[in-house]
Amino acid sequence: MGLRSRLPGGRVHELTQRVERLEADLAEVRRHNLRLAELADLVQELLLPMADQDRERIDRAIEKFQDSI
Amino acid sequence: MAGRAARVLAVDEAEVKLLVTGRDRAVDALFDGRRIWSFWVRRDTTGRLVRRVSWPEVMRPHLRGTSTVTLREHVSDRVLWEGDLTFGDAADRGRRIEFVNKMGLEISLDKANRFSPTFSVRTQADLDPLLDAMDAVLDTLNGEGVAAFPAYGTLLGAVREGQFLGHDSDADLGYVSRFSDPVDVVRESFRLQRAVAAAGMETYRYSGAAFRVRVEEGDGIPRGLDVFGGFLDTGRLYLMGEVGTDYEPGWIHPLGTCELAGRTFPAPARPEKLLEAMYGPSWRVPDPAYQFETSERTKTQLNQWFRGSAYHRREWEREWSVARSRPLPRKGSDLARLAARREDPATHLIDVGAGRGSDALWWARRGRRATAYDFAAVGLRRAARHAGSKQLPLEVRPLNLTEWRSVLSEGARVAREPGPRALVARHVVDATDEFGRQSLGRFASMTLRGGGRLYLEFWTGGGEPDPAHLLRPLTVERVRRLVTDHGGTIQSVRELDPGAGNDARSFAVGRLVAQWG
Repeated sequence: MGLRSRLPGGRVHELTQRVERLEADLAEVRRHNLRLAELADLVQELLLPMADQDRERIDRAIEKFQDSI
Repeated sequence: MAGRAARVLAVDEAEVKLLVTGRDRAVDALFDGRRIWSFWVRRDTTGRLVRRVSWPEVMRPHLRGTSTVTLREHVSDRVLWEGDLTFGDAADRGRRIEFVNKMGLEISLDKANRFSPTFSVRTQADLDPLLDAMDAVLDTLNGEGVAAFPAYGTLLGAVREGQFLGHDSDADLGYVSRFSDPVDVVRESFRLQRAVAAAGMETYRYSGAAFRVRVEEGDGIPRGLDVFGGFLDTGRLYLMGEVGTDYEPGWIHPLGTCELAGRTFPAPARPEKLLEAMYGPSWRVPDPAYQFETSERTKTQLNQWFRGSAYHRREWEREWSVARSRPLPRKGSDLARLAARREDPATHLIDVGAGRGSDALWWARRGRRATAYDFAAVGLRRAARHAGSKQLPLEVRPLNLTEWRSVLSEGARVAREPGPRALVARHVVDATDEFGRQSLGRFASMTLRGGGRLYLEFWTGGGEPDPAHLLRPLTVERVRRLVTDHGGTIQSVRELDPGAGNDARSFAVGRLVAQWG
């Protein structure tokens, strides 16, 4: 016997909506992986030279970073 | 009828007609004895009793003249049809059909129906630079603590034939990370690309877990060497860009070896297990027209973890690639003219999403300092060459609004430059996705914080823009909100009907000017 025939119509609708919401939430969480990695990479490669306030070093660091992305 | 795949009923300029019995199988189309294209007799044909398949559109420009055409089963080599055919008009009758590229090299279609000098027409001497590059990249990755191996078609060719697959056109490397969180796998891939770039090789990133190394073969043919990242997590293997399957760690490590074109390369401990994960249980049967049947679950996972940082880039690259021989428009767009009029002559004019760069070139021709940004580099080559030869003040730089690393590093670089500047973005907010739109807002806020204007133009929905399939209409209100959310003050907003203004335009646009600082 199918799920649909055992559950009242309203409940099927509610469960369908919950699955859609869960899928959307999961997609959102998964997408953070790439963006978090980007920010971590950026901080790791550019924060120290920037904090140094040495203009040439900053320029070199940005140039080197951009050559590899 | 066992063993009989198909009977070819007719072959003409337009198509191949077949009667198909038995199971589906691959057929090669040869022109004057050389394989050019392959198709599956059921998967790639239409019709019930009589099945038909047209010659691929990409073949059309080459189909002028006469050739001996052979249709041959790929696995059994059984010839299904052979005959002389003339394509084009009577004037073409005397010439032989040739499939060669601009460099005069023989080309054929790979499994993605792209023309390239496939490995079947390459000599060992041609291939040596690619094999050397594979060694060099493997060494570099090893130096970073990552043990990679030939993957996908390259592994298949090595294990099945000891050679590159004749119909293949690029080489692939893969590795299984020691990390099991996608975020760490992406960071590692970034680090590997940095190491390969530092070793002097040209790279290009596809996604968070894959990049390409550009290699030139013996006679200057550019060839891609793709590096795919993968990871194991709780009994499943994910490998960019097609694999997601239950897997034993012992099937990968410790690595063994395989032979490829006379050289020894590393290989997964059980290469047959990986080949089955990539190509299914029939991986031993050659298939030049193979199409991945990646599950929806795996596609969704790989998309959400690793993709999303190159929205429509491939489509734009194709667009500009097709347009590359067309002359650039001499006239600046209405928006480019408006910005040039409104801004002081000393203002650095920056075109974000410059496409082919004709507006930025128009500014530079008038002595204005200009920068043209785009994420599809191929579009800007002509403008860069022209500006270089005339010593015009135009700089061409990459900027990818769907990659934070690009936006934030370039934003930081520009923000530190002295002098006034203005940003112009014509058909950018309507060409990128929401992430790209927010990035444009962020880029404007970073680079104009000391004061400066942003000029936007975008399709609002009326009429038919070009290229329509790459633009999505936006309401003026939505764009106004984007700008104010990032700290801009609106100076003017207009909606222009099709035909209004000097641009030859058959669609409605919104035009917005905002001020920062």
